[in-house]
Amino acid sequence: MDRPASSFVKVTSLRKSFGSYVAIDDVSLDVAKASTLALLGPSGCGKTTMLRCIAGLEMPDAGSIEIAGRVVFDSSRGINLMPEERGLGIVFQSYAVWPHMTVAENVAFPLKVRGIAKAEQRKRAQRILEVVGLGAWHDRSATALSGGQQQRVALARALIHEPSLVLFDEALSNLDAQLREQMRMELKILQDRLGFTAIYVTHDQQEAFGLAENLVLMNRGRVEATGHPREIFRLPPSAFAARFLGLNQIEAKVLRTTEHARVSGMPPVRYAEVELENGQTLWGLIGQSRAPEIGEAVLMCMRREHIAVVPVTTEQAHMHEAIPTRQDHAVTITATSFLGLDEEYALDFGGVELRVVQRASALKAGDSVTARFTTDECIILPRDTVDVMTAASNVT
Amino acid sequence: MTAVTNTPLRRDARLIQWLLPAGGVTVGILLLAGPLLATLARSLLVWTDGQASLSLANFSALVNSSHFSEAVINTLICGVGATIASCVLGFYLAWIVARTNVPGRGWLEILNLIPFFLSPYVGAVSWIYLAAPHSGLLQHFFQSQFGLSLEFLNIYSLGGVIFVLALFYTPYIYLFLLAPLRQMDGALEDAARVHGAGFGYTLRHITVPLVMPAMLSGALIVFVTSAGLFDVPLALAAPKGIHTIPTEIFSYVQYPADFGAASAIGVMVVIVTVVLTLFHHRYIGRRRYETVSGKGYRPRLINLRPWALAGVLILEIVYLGGAVLLPTVALILVALSSIWTGQFNPQFATLQNFHYVSFEYSLTRGAIGNSLILAIVGATLSVGIALFQAYYLNRGRRRGRGFIDAVLSLPLGIPSIILGLGFLILGIRTPLYSTLTIILIAYIARFFPFAMRNISAMFLAINPELEQSARASGASWWQTMRFVLLPLLRPALISAWLMLFVIFVRELGATILLYAQGTETISVALVLLSERNFGYVAALALIQLCLLLAAFVLLRVARTSIVEI
Repeated sequence: MDRPASSFVKVTSLRKSFGSYVAIDDVSLDVAKASTLALLGPSGCGKTTMLRCIAGLEMPDAGSIEIAGRVVFDSSRGINLMPEERGLGIVFQSYAVWPHMTVAENVAFPLKVRGIAKAEQRKRAQRILEVVGLGAWHDRSATALSGGQQQRVALARALIHEPSLVLFDEALSNLDAQLREQMRMELKILQDRLGFTAIYVTHDQQEAFGLAENLVLMNRGRVEATGHPREIFRLPPSAFAARFLGLNQIEAKVLRTTEHARVSGMPPVRYAEVELENGQTLWGLIGQSRAPEIGEAVLMCMRREHIAVVPVTTEQAHMHEAIPTRQDHAVTITATSFLGLDEEYALDFGGVELRVVQRASALKAGDSVTARFTTDECIILPRDTVDVMTAASNVT
Repeated sequence: MTAVTNTPLRRDARLIQWLLPAGGVTVGILLLAGPLLATLARSLLVWTDGQASLSLANFSALVNSSHFSEAVINTLICGVGATIASCVLGFYLAWIVARTNVPGRGWLEILNLIPFFLSPYVGAVSWIYLAAPHSGLLQHFFQSQFGLSLEFLNIYSLGGVIFVLALFYTPYIYLFLLAPLRQMDGALEDAARVHGAGFGYTLRHITVPLVMPAMLSGALIVFVTSAGLFDVPLALAAPKGIHTIPTEIFSYVQYPADFGAASAIGVMVVIVTVVLTLFHHRYIGRRRYETVSGKGYRPRLINLRPWALAGVLILEIVYLGGAVLLPTVALILVALSSIWTGQFNPQFATLQNFHYVSFEYSLTRGAIGNSLILAIVGATLSVGIALFQAYYLNRGRRRGRGFIDAVLSLPLGIPSIILGLGFLILGIRTPLYSTLTIILIAYIARFFPFAMRNISAMFLAINPELEQSARASGASWWQTMRFVLLPLLRPALISAWLMLFVIFVRELGATILLYAQGTETISVALVLLSERNFGYVAALALIQLCLLLAAFVLLRVARTSIVEI
């Protein structure tokens, strides 16, 4: 993988284990200046350890970390700067607002330890508190604040000394959904205004998609995928990524492959017809750089929102095309779960369970219906874990 | 419900269910009010020509006495000095155990608690063997091995008192700080580090302030108990004519006795104690910070670099050496010597002292028996009373609970010698005087709150619905107690019993005023023998030490907690 020379944060071949448990296994990352990276993954994937290594709160076993052109850690050269020497800002999941200080004292702390004059501290604390919408809370005790307000105090504290890199450790996951939504927007606006580089650690794909320009999906201490959120969303690069993002996965076997250009003049895209474990056949898009062999075991992955459940139709849809754009299959609804605007259905697709989310309707358990698959949204991925580099380069 | 309550059987059950807890509370209040009111009454009485009259003369005489103000100042110096030293030492020890990767910290965690179980009087006596001017083992050792003169070390001083008190009260602070340091959200400190604070700055400005409320609570207890402790000043200050309030009360009760003056001191001390307790309730007790958050994480252990590890180990060695190891070695050396000349001479080595104090000498033999009776019966009765009190405070009527809790906790801060004085005044003209029973009552009165607090804390962890479901399943109140509540409370009952056993085996302050010929305890015998025979004192002290350590080991085996002190 070619690495941009100009990256602002550069992590190279980082390793960290706790006893026999390998938390980070040879991970390299690049973050461009003033951009936002989200480290996404299930709990225990190493994303928080990665963030703590960047902050200097954990000492990696090997590798190097460079921030703003300055090497802050390099195992081969024996460099390891203390957290306070790295000049960063951080927001924790628990906010870590100090209960023995007022709001202003909390926020001004980074200035105080830098020996900045009292008057200046006060002025800048007031200014940043206004930015985060807590201007009137200056002298209140930090313990009197609600969760959302403490979050803002933690944010103000992380920004007041104008660090070039701010780290967010599950910073939004303690807030209720509505507040989280709002903070996400405000963070984006703040970042545009103050121009800091940000790394978010989160297990929540919504948060990662909403905040980040670049996404690193981690699994068991390794990078599973990197790329733009929209690309990873459209075409999850690996079976793990698809599973983590909540796609339906059905075991399948490749029957034949072909290339086809949906719109004439565009480069052709590769498709495969597979036989699902329930014996049905389905066309899908090949989601990897290597074409699968005939007969190879693969996974057919479908986003829940991309399958449509419609009343039974007799129309044999689009079977006249070489590659059908839509494919219909008879299924039975086994359970429904009303989500408000949407409704989730569990479908029995010839012995395989499928989950579908679509606008709430009058369909109920026991109904025989038709499931409509859009071929370009059926993604065929290899079953075994793909090589990290292949998956990554496939996306970008 | 009303229809059933009227049957006689039901009514009896209801009565018992109400009577036992309320009885426990009443007994507790009487045990406290009796001696305190007697002391108050006695302090206001003045005898002139066989005629008693009410007067504040006792108080005015004390206030105008420079001798008394000197004792007050000395007591304050000892209390404040011991408190500061215990806070510093207790914080570091707790921090080392809770926050660093020092090897063997599981062991250190337990070892640091041992002084909590030992007798301060014996500690003071051992330190006389170790560091008395001209004859101390340490002075002799450094002189002969390294040619260093340690003659400036004089254990008979306020410094010596503070030193020994600090050794024994450090575990109080240590216990108060261990849990907060362990459970604190690690992000609180990490945030300070990332935002530019160094390690030391973070420790001073984040860690210490966050545990400060817990430390102040501990400090108040250490101040009140160490300032009121009779044992250590008796051994180390009184011989050189340095007076403190506890030794002052003691000397006023000696012939020619002045009970009026002694009582007046007692009343003043109780007033100060009550004021301090109220202050604590009002300002410190409520100021606990919310430093534990569900979304936080445990602080990571600090990887000690070699020099830091060396420093940590030296601190541990100095503390455990000073509080446990050196005193024990000194006691063993003295106990094994047929004559003690300030140094151990293998030629005079003998086990005769042990044999003599355990079997032959009636004073010490009787003292061991008395101490065991007092400790076992006293601990059992106290735990029994405390169980009903805790039930009342947690399951009884809500009204007045806080007030009753505060009143019942009051003896925690009242020096033993003052409660002993109260019982002496109450009992001196009754058949109880000079019996083991009056000592037993004084012990229970002074120390039942330890058990009550311990059991009450356990009650907080037991959801009342557990008992309610037993009642709903058809169990009577008594069956519910027996099959549900008592088994759940068992750990607290055991730890309270063992803790009281330890306290009673080493108790001196109350006993010293109440013993008579034939009712001496181990600690009293140690005092009586202290100027007669070093070998007997050391041998008897070692026997007491074994009893205390046995209780400590049982407490560890029972895996119960002693955090609620």
